[in-house]
Amino acid sequence: MLPELPSPHWSRRRLLQAMGALGVVPATAWALGSASQLDVAELQVDGVSLHRPEAWQRLLFEVIQTTSVEANPSVTAVPPQDPALFSHPFTVLIGSDALSGLDASAIEQLRRFVSYGGFLLFDDASGSRDGPFARSVRELCRELFPTRPLAPLPGDHSIYRAFFLLDRPVGRVVVSEVLEGVTLGPVTPIVYCPNDLSGALHRGPDGRDRFPVAPGGEWQRREALKLGVNLVMYSLTSNYKHDQAHVVELMRDGKLE
Amino acid sequence: MMDWWLAGFGMGQGTVDWQGEPWAIALVGAVCLVAWAVALFGPRPKGVRPGFRAVEGVGWTLALLVIVFAVAEPVQVEEEGRQEAGRLVVLVDGSASMGVHHKGVSRGARVMEVLDELRADHGELDLYTFDEALRSGAPDTFEGRGTDLAAALDAIADRHLGQSLRGVVVVTDGIDLGRLRADLATAASTDALRPDLVPSLPGPLTLVQVGTSGEMEDLAVESVVSGGFAFLRTPFTLTAVIRGAAGRSVPVSLLREQRLVEERTVQLDAEGRAEVRFEVTPRQAGRFAWEVSVPVSEDDAVPGNNSFPVVVRVVRERTRVLQVSGSPSYDQKFLRLFLKEDPSVDLVSFFILRTREDFRSGWAPEELSLIEFPYERLFTEDLDTFDLVVLQNFNYRPYFSHGRDDLLLNIAQYVRNGGALVMTGGDRSFDLGDYARTPIAEVLPVELGVTGVKTDEAPFRPMLTDAGTVHPLTRLGATEEETRDTWNRLPMMDGTNRTLGLADESAALLVHPGLQIDSQPLPVLAVREVGEGRTMALTVDASWRWSFSEAAEGRGNQAYLRFWKNALRWLVADPDDRRVVVTPSRENVLLGDAVRLTVKVRDAGYGPVEDARVTGAVVAPSGRSHDVELVTEASGEATMMFSPEERGAHRVQVSVGGRAADRGETVFAVSNRDPELARIEPDETFLRTLAAVYAERGRFIAAGSRIDPLVDDAAVRTVPERREKPLSTAPLVGLLFGLFAGLAWFARRRSGGV
Repeated sequence: MLPELPSPHWSRRRLLQAMGALGVVPATAWALGSASQLDVAELQVDGVSLHRPEAWQRLLFEVIQTTSVEANPSVTAVPPQDPALFSHPFTVLIGSDALSGLDASAIEQLRRFVSYGGFLLFDDASGSRDGPFARSVRELCRELFPTRPLAPLPGDHSIYRAFFLLDRPVGRVVVSEVLEGVTLGPVTPIVYCPNDLSGALHRGPDGRDRFPVAPGGEWQRREALKLGVNLVMYSLTSNYKHDQAHVVELMRDGKLE
Repeated sequence: MMDWWLAGFGMGQGTVDWQGEPWAIALVGAVCLVAWAVALFGPRPKGVRPGFRAVEGVGWTLALLVIVFAVAEPVQVEEEGRQEAGRLVVLVDGSASMGVHHKGVSRGARVMEVLDELRADHGELDLYTFDEALRSGAPDTFEGRGTDLAAALDAIADRHLGQSLRGVVVVTDGIDLGRLRADLATAASTDALRPDLVPSLPGPLTLVQVGTSGEMEDLAVESVVSGGFAFLRTPFTLTAVIRGAAGRSVPVSLLREQRLVEERTVQLDAEGRAEVRFEVTPRQAGRFAWEVSVPVSEDDAVPGNNSFPVVVRVVRERTRVLQVSGSPSYDQKFLRLFLKEDPSVDLVSFFILRTREDFRSGWAPEELSLIEFPYERLFTEDLDTFDLVVLQNFNYRPYFSHGRDDLLLNIAQYVRNGGALVMTGGDRSFDLGDYARTPIAEVLPVELGVTGVKTDEAPFRPMLTDAGTVHPLTRLGATEEETRDTWNRLPMMDGTNRTLGLADESAALLVHPGLQIDSQPLPVLAVREVGEGRTMALTVDASWRWSFSEAAEGRGNQAYLRFWKNALRWLVADPDDRRVVVTPSRENVLLGDAVRLTVKVRDAGYGPVEDARVTGAVVAPSGRSHDVELVTEASGEATMMFSPEERGAHRVQVSVGGRAADRGETVFAVSNRDPELARIEPDETFLRTLAAVYAERGRFIAAGSRIDPLVDDAAVRTVPERREKPLSTAPLVGLLFGLFAGLAWFARRRSGGV
């Protein structure tokens, strides 16, 4: 297991604590331990997975600033067979080449992880449509759930309205207009993003964006950030936005047709 | 001459039966042997002549053998049958339906006329009465609580096995409650009537119908179909069948525990039947008595069947849960997944996705897929539609901008009225949610009002208390040991909200292993019964680990699922799952039958309470109250028998203390609906069909017709006779004894022995 990557740990709670110290908010607003807060685990598959912790930290900061979710902006690298995976229900795997080296124990653990409530995002950094990474992800999903293949998510899927209203999923590139996923019952615990989401969010040590986004430029990067927030929110609330109360209200507000 | 000497012994056919008692034979034999020895070998004067002595010996031997033979009581037994003309057997229906009166006349009176007519024409009768069983003789009264004609005919066939009867006459109204009527009706409907459907009889059968259709006025509620249970807040139908005079218009009332709910008027059809349906929507779970009734006129032959009470158990089909979360989190996610996947749960979720502090993040409102939190509607008009409200790390203050106090009061009152409330931990819960000194705090099982540090962030593993070991909420194993083992292995929690400890009349099921308040372990999971409702406080926000971390170990998520399932079941418990539960042995009781009432008393931790003094009353429909005073045994149970004296719904209320949590209640319905009297119309069709199955050996005689039974004049019966000829009393025995004894005595004298 890799050590946890360094993070500023400026969670909402830390922020509130600091503000409390400054007298901005009541000083009694301490909370429970941070272990139950949202964080991100990057699946580490030797020789295949890419690591972009800064991208996820950027996303988690955005989640903290924009939503009521209590997040801990730390990113941990976890091998798929490591039981520590179960301490991080939001897990991502970034890659551009074909996945290999996942043994039976890793696959069994991933199956359990997803079946019992974990969320797994495959982020395709290749920038190509149906490249080796995409094909290997499809194969892995077939191994995980033979009767539930990776399939395009419909336009009214909760992911597109979990927090922001999104027309389409974009990342560093736009090679596909749809996300794909494995749906188990009412939830989709495995999502495949073909458009390199982490590439759009990735920053260098200097705080500057590492990659240009195309074809939409900075607007597209902003939309990618919204997609990231929606994925986090969906991982926590699943099909909440399909509850009748929300659908009726959103339609009344003209946000849904 | 020899016949006289032998008292007929040895004459004619027969067998010899030795009737003497073996011990008597042995005793007499032994005495004789001693006497014989003394007589022969006793002291004698000298010069006895040996020839006489031998004669004496033979004489005594034969005389004593005659005595032993007499004591053995040889009897010649002769058995033979005497042929007589076959008997006419008459079976009279003695069931209650034969005893109904109308304007002073009963069917029973007609029975006596039929019997007189039969005696006049056929002489002596073999009379039997039948209802549920067969008895010899004519009925004294007509009160039998059943009619089983097939059983009666079978019994007659058994009693006259191997004989032929002149005839079998059945006098009845045809209201058979045994299998025969139903079997024949079924067979007739499928054109499958066969002789093997009816008992085989030793003589021809005549069925004499007593009573005619329409002779008596009887308006009745024939049946009420309810299904026995209904779902809360879901309409169900009570279907009643009304019977009476054809074409009559009848007002039909539906009452719930003596209170009128609805009244309808129905028109009886040409067959005198009508069906009426009442749609009822129960608003409360538990047992409730409904009653369908029609008016009782002065001429009604059976007033007892004019009402039909039924007890319906109202259960929840789906538990409506309101989950309100102040912040999306893993804890909220896993609870939602559990609740969403449970088909018995109707879940309404509201998650606060964005707070006022997040408004400065620069996103335009039209970009957001957010709706307003409809808190006012939820906690006012909608509140009573939920069985359970879960406040999951939810702080009310930022959102309850209008009528805050009223809304909190509504929630507390909702609990007291029977609702359930759960509060789970987090940085917006308990004291961090500013619930101290609010109406909510008054119903929670933990005391709020912590000053200073309101949480403890150190990981810990909750400890199961003794109460938690037996409480249904924390029972994760089949045994107490298994439950303890399971809790001991579950993952650590990430910290806890601090409280001021357990509230009054609450139970701690899980406690902190280190933290204490007032020298007591800090409660982590506590429960309370408040008024009619229940509350639960879980001061952690990481119960999701009981699912996910367990899954990591390959143990699945059963511990988590079972915990929340238990919690759900206990929180929205039906009356049968309260601490004081009273249950009747039967929910629908016939007047005259006793009902057993069982009271079960459990403490806050659901352990049985021994020696609890239970008081209460059984309240009859008239308002008359019968005291209940019981003391529970070690099992926490106490029972009593109660014999209702009134028909209608009887409500049982018991209590162990003054609090609502310590009260139990149930209801049972008492009817005088004797099945015999449910329908008193004679069944001519059945009697005609039955006679037809016997073909030429069956005859039906309609009511009022001349009684001309089908008889078999050639039928004969054998009357068994037994003659005994005892040899021991025969004159020859006395003669032989005298002869042999005299010979011996003579020889003894001659030999000089006397």
